[in-house]
Amino acid sequence: MWKEVRDREAGKLPPFTFASRVRSRRVSALGLSNHKEIVSPHHGAVNALQVDLTEGRYLLSGASDGSAAVYDIQRATDYEEGLIARHRSLFVVDKQHEYGHKFAISTAIWYPVDTGLFVTGSFDHFVKVWDTNTTQVVMDFKMPGKVYGTAMSSLAKAHMLIAAGSADVQVRLCDIASGAFTHTLSGHRDGVMTLEWSTCSEWILMTGGRDGAIRFWDIRRAGCFRVLDQSQCQPGRRPPFLENTSKKIVARTSLAGPSSLANKSVSRKKTPLGNGMKQSQALRKPQNLLRTPVRQRSHPGMSSSHDRATAHYGAVTGLKASGDGMYLLSSGSDSQLRLWDIESGLNILAKYEEMRLQTSKSLHLALNQDSSLVFVPCMATVKACDVWSGLTLQTFRGHYELVNCCYFNLQDQELYTGSNDRQILVWSPPSAIINDLEEDNRKERKFSADKDNWSD
Amino acid sequence: MSVWNYVVTAHKPTNVTHSCVGNFTSPQELNLVIAKCTRIEIHLLTPHGLQPMLDVPIYGRIATLELFRPHGEPQDFLFIATERYKFCVLQWDAETSELITRAMGDVSDRIGRPTDNGQIGLIDPDCRLIGLHLYDGLFKVIPFDNKGQLKEAFNIRLEELLVLDIKFLYGCLKPTIVVLYQDNKDARHAKTYEIALKDKDFVEGPLSHTNLDNGAGILIPVPMPLGGVIIIGEETIVYCSVTAFKAIPIRPSITRAYGRVDADGSRYLLGDNAGFLHLLVITHERERVTGLKIEHLGETSVASTISYLDNAVVYIGSSYGDSQLIKLNLQPDAKGSYVEVLEKYVNLGPIVDFCVVDLERQGQGQVVTCSGAYKDGSLRIVRNGIGINEQASVELQGIKGLWSLRSSTNDPYDTFLVVSFINETRVLAMNMDDELEESEIEGFCAEAQTLFCQNAIHDQLVQVTANSVRLVSSTTRELLHEWNAPSGYSVNVATANASQVLLATGGGHLVYLEIGNGKLAEVKHVQLDYEISCLDINPSVENPNYSTLAAVGMWTDISVRIFSLPSLELLAKENLGGEIITRSVLLCTFEGVSYLLCTLGDGHLLNFLLNLSTGELSNRKKVSLGTQPIMLRTFSSKDTTHVFAASDRPTVIYSSNKKLLYSNVNLKEVSHMCPFNSAAFPDSLAIAKEGELSIGTIDDIQKLHIRTIPLGEHARRICHQEQSRTFAICSLKNCQTSNEETEMHFVRLLDYQTFEFISTYPLDTYEYGCSIISCSFSDDNNAYYCVGTAYVLPEENEPSKGRILVFVVEDGKLQLIAEKETKGAVYSLNAFNGKLLAAINQKIQLYKWMLREDGSRELQAECGHYGHILAFYVQTRGDFIVVGDLMKSISLLLYKHEEGAIEELARDYNANWMSAVEILDDDVFLGAENNYNLFTVRKNSDAATDEERGRLEVVGEYHLGEFVNRIRHGSLVMRLPDSEAGHIPTVIFGTINGVIGVVASLPHDQYVFLEKLQANLVKVIKGVGGLSHEQWRSFNNEKKTVDARNFLDGDLIESFLDLSRSRMDEIASSMGVPLEELCKKVEELTRLH
Repeated sequence: MWKEVRDREAGKLPPFTFASRVRSRRVSALGLSNHKEIVSPHHGAVNALQVDLTEGRYLLSGASDGSAAVYDIQRATDYEEGLIARHRSLFVVDKQHEYGHKFAISTAIWYPVDTGLFVTGSFDHFVKVWDTNTTQVVMDFKMPGKVYGTAMSSLAKAHMLIAAGSADVQVRLCDIASGAFTHTLSGHRDGVMTLEWSTCSEWILMTGGRDGAIRFWDIRRAGCFRVLDQSQCQPGRRPPFLENTSKKIVARTSLAGPSSLANKSVSRKKTPLGNGMKQSQALRKPQNLLRTPVRQRSHPGMSSSHDRATAHYGAVTGLKASGDGMYLLSSGSDSQLRLWDIESGLNILAKYEEMRLQTSKSLHLALNQDSSLVFVPCMATVKACDVWSGLTLQTFRGHYELVNCCYFNLQDQELYTGSNDRQILVWSPPSAIINDLEEDNRKERKFSADKDNWSD
Repeated sequence: MSVWNYVVTAHKPTNVTHSCVGNFTSPQELNLVIAKCTRIEIHLLTPHGLQPMLDVPIYGRIATLELFRPHGEPQDFLFIATERYKFCVLQWDAETSELITRAMGDVSDRIGRPTDNGQIGLIDPDCRLIGLHLYDGLFKVIPFDNKGQLKEAFNIRLEELLVLDIKFLYGCLKPTIVVLYQDNKDARHAKTYEIALKDKDFVEGPLSHTNLDNGAGILIPVPMPLGGVIIIGEETIVYCSVTAFKAIPIRPSITRAYGRVDADGSRYLLGDNAGFLHLLVITHERERVTGLKIEHLGETSVASTISYLDNAVVYIGSSYGDSQLIKLNLQPDAKGSYVEVLEKYVNLGPIVDFCVVDLERQGQGQVVTCSGAYKDGSLRIVRNGIGINEQASVELQGIKGLWSLRSSTNDPYDTFLVVSFINETRVLAMNMDDELEESEIEGFCAEAQTLFCQNAIHDQLVQVTANSVRLVSSTTRELLHEWNAPSGYSVNVATANASQVLLATGGGHLVYLEIGNGKLAEVKHVQLDYEISCLDINPSVENPNYSTLAAVGMWTDISVRIFSLPSLELLAKENLGGEIITRSVLLCTFEGVSYLLCTLGDGHLLNFLLNLSTGELSNRKKVSLGTQPIMLRTFSSKDTTHVFAASDRPTVIYSSNKKLLYSNVNLKEVSHMCPFNSAAFPDSLAIAKEGELSIGTIDDIQKLHIRTIPLGEHARRICHQEQSRTFAICSLKNCQTSNEETEMHFVRLLDYQTFEFISTYPLDTYEYGCSIISCSFSDDNNAYYCVGTAYVLPEENEPSKGRILVFVVEDGKLQLIAEKETKGAVYSLNAFNGKLLAAINQKIQLYKWMLREDGSRELQAECGHYGHILAFYVQTRGDFIVVGDLMKSISLLLYKHEEGAIEELARDYNANWMSAVEILDDDVFLGAENNYNLFTVRKNSDAATDEERGRLEVVGEYHLGEFVNRIRHGSLVMRLPDSEAGHIPTVIFGTINGVIGVVASLPHDQYVFLEKLQANLVKVIKGVGGLSHEQWRSFNNEKKTVDARNFLDGDLIESFLDLSRSRMDEIASSMGVPLEELCKKVEELTRLH
């Protein structure tokens, strides 16, 4: 640490790199927090967790008993033995509340612009918008079925839409500004478990359904513009220039072989012959098709087989887009995690270690700052996997029952997990407080004992 | 201090980050373009060296600087990209000597993660496109059209996520890049891609090379006819092209910069991080590469850029030491080095720590910085204004005038010093022992006050007293001739040059005499309407003995008049207005421009441009230099003429880039001054101060004076102890023992004047010095140096052990008095209520200074506070403690005496990664953070709710564009109680780029006024390359970008003074303020630094 500080000071380490090194070091040291505790007021499984996006200070949780609660995670309400910070809920809204949800809350999210509003969705078919300060419902939307998931775009400047997925096949967009549904997005063949807005465009929504499909929507246009297909894998490699060099290059897929010669001739000499050009284009077509122009070609109606494509066998239970807007992670009831390239819609084929995932509920995944690590609730544990290599780097064991959700606090590098055991656990880099204090006390005692001996 | 802050640069950035050579200003001229992070400099290569042509600020941190030549253009264009994703293409306008923006734009993307290894920008050698690597996994292409105009940019996916370097290959039919990257197993490879512009995609290219040297970091594309690329590693250098592959091993070193020597690319200069310069030669036969050779040339500063200029002259730009202009000799010198340093350019960066001291006890701060790194580490003493190094002094009361005289016209040295008193004149002369002793010039009248005296032609001396003008032979020292004032009139003021005398008597009579051989002739006499207050006939440069113009200052109508000589015809008259009479006028020429300077009794100085042939005055400007009457006198230093303005705030007036500059002299009050160049005191000045006459030499004439103390090691922390008159530093030295590089850490004691090491305490192996202070404890009068250290073990992420060492200085030696082990790195130490406050990893710990029974002392833990991630920066004021955390912004703690406990009062809940923090006043704290921003937070002690009281409210935000390492209270200038600026509290900050800046807290009304001025200036002063000032200064981090507030850009505001008169008028009228008042207000501000 001191070395990094020193290098940053002298300009040898760019501040940005300094920060990412410190972050990744802290993430790799995550463990059950020895200095922080969240006191869960819930009497049911914790299904949803999110920290507000503006201040990074308030944690919102939603639980199966129909209750939602907010905690201040920066400032403890009290300290246990003066050491362990306890964070009690600032308020709870539950079934007793006049307008509370009648059944389990499946999703709870903050309004991305400020902490004045939050949104909950419940199996009682309602999506409710709450005023944080008065803890009153300011708006509600009746959905056609049990609500499984909601999402708001953190980028949105032009709209205030809550995307809500329910047991119904349609995704609905609820407009906070007008209090009405502005869109219904049809395409899924079964209920919609999970929704995620693009992290680089406020108009792109991604949804995952129980039909195993992940659909991309541009809400300015009708219909879905892409369905992810697990069998469409990243060919990944560009046609090589020279055949002989391609031997040196590690492993190349078959696509490279035949096209290489043609490409060579085309790119080497600028053949004016239309033939040559066409040939090259034809050869490159498969790739092109998978890149940008997909949007037009596979647009609505999509009677093609493409529309039937699935991303997972069984239901898609969780979606998480990387912060840079380039990749999407999905989890399915087939106990698979898949990594997708958003631009091309291809399955990147990252090999994640085998794990068992919950199948019945929507799962909340979490990514770290540079999206190199994904936190996945795996039954009663949470696993941290390297996004690229798929290796499981850490397994967090602490919950007694199934874990439903996790939220990674990018600001403090803390992980919050919610489980069927009704607890919310905090995972943080260790603080030296405890050992330190104990040691101090011991020493002091010893020292004072010594002193006594001397003075006598 | 307040929340309304004014940020200004006192010392510009000097860290050279980029440089390139090309024909930028004209097709025939060769230019060196240098980027110093937020500034660019354009130099012209001349046979005499580098000649500066332009130095302008860029509203952005420069990430890429490239010269390129689009098709059909006779000269190069400059491409600049900034770290905040702006780019511009600049062209030189030869007529106005300004930069024209050819193109500009924004290349930011919503998509993608900013690259970890820095942004890369490059231009195709055939000028078909610009490539940018700004985000991981994306390569942005800006294509040129046939006419050299930029077309719309697009992104290509780059599969290599960890890119180390990208370059364009030469001689490819299609633009081809070579990418050096690291895979997820940390192996490094290089591969090439052709850019298919039509398809907006890559095609795999002709070369690829896997499993390179693990330290491979730099790619050098080789021009045709050889082509291919050189890959520089830490242990090998590889050349590869389609046809050839060559590799040679090198002595392990980390190459930091390269420069191409020949256009055909067969030789390259490589600079490594030990400062060694190597020559890499590609041997080739008939355009086929046959091998590589590397040769050691010598040592330079640690290079960050290398630009080969011409004729074996090379510019070495450095981030860690002074930049250099070197010559590569054909033959090695005695030490075997081919490198000869021609010139050095001062670089203060990186300033990792500094302290503000007043060594001369003049009430003026000096900044002593820890600058540089590696072997180029140094201490720099930075002082504002010009220093006088006193050589001799005598006590003399009541001096009314001072002149130096030579014993003959051809004598190079002055012999006599004529000192005039109210009723007598004394002559001092250098005797044989080079001592100044009282002497006599027989022909002079010693019983009267001398009004003026001067060496005249024909080896004569002139003395003017109230009654007469005396002409004396300088050889015989006898009176040759005397001109007596008409009876009833006495001479009031007089002036003379080698052949002319002009004097004024009561009643407004102006008399003009000419000096002949042994004779004074009254040539002309006129009577003016009012009394005359001052005169000058300082000759022009062309004719040093004779002036054709005379300047006269008048009583009553408060005017200056220009008369012709010898006819005494009135040529021009300028009413000065006001009621303060003129006290001194001076005709002078700087850099070929003639001026009339005129001072008023209240310390103001007016300057006019003077037309020597017509006597016309124009372009009047007024500045305030002091509060007392000012006496002007010219003097020369380094063959340049300067003007000394003697007053309560002595100032040197000089000219740079044809602009008058005012630099204060570090003396309190000077009544008279004359140059005194004697054999014993060459190039000296005689200065009459209150009750004292002293002789001293003057520093180089520049605003900031920097003295360099090279250390040969990297100083990291510094503090000053007044009691022992010493400095102490924590430093480290890199040692190269056979193959291993080790570091040794020291605490060193330095003399406060010579800065020599007088004592050294070596730290343990792996032990680093992290903090140092000088303090004393309650119940103990000694002053101690306390040093906080950390044991940095290779296997530990975070230091778990450190020490606090308490030293006392005895007989110039560091004596260890006490030591205390800590459970972590001691990041910060503060004297706190007679105790010692340490920041140890997460913890703030207070130690008492306990007296043991055996009389020895020890540090004993009293209380602590947790709740930080890492408490890096700690400042205290009274019982308050302000902590700057690694990543959790600022928090405010309070020490409670009764409970003996430290409690948190409030914190800022933003996620700022701090780099420095300082307490401005009881309520406002200033912080600097990781994304080059400054911000202020305020304590809400009056807030209604607990929640609000517990929150530090962010009140000011500003993008500085500099990484601040340290903020300290203090001032670089002398604080005069009577000036407005004297009451403005300031703090000083030091940055990685070598910037010393000042943050001044302004009163609210002044802030509002200046804010308006800034808004007006933004409209008039356009950023180079069309970059927006507002965007540049907007607070920006990973999470948000918001407009700057409660901070003003002093650099912009002070550039008001450089505007042309018409633009100044324009701004003054839109502000609704008289121009003079506006100028005065801005000038006041320039006195803050």
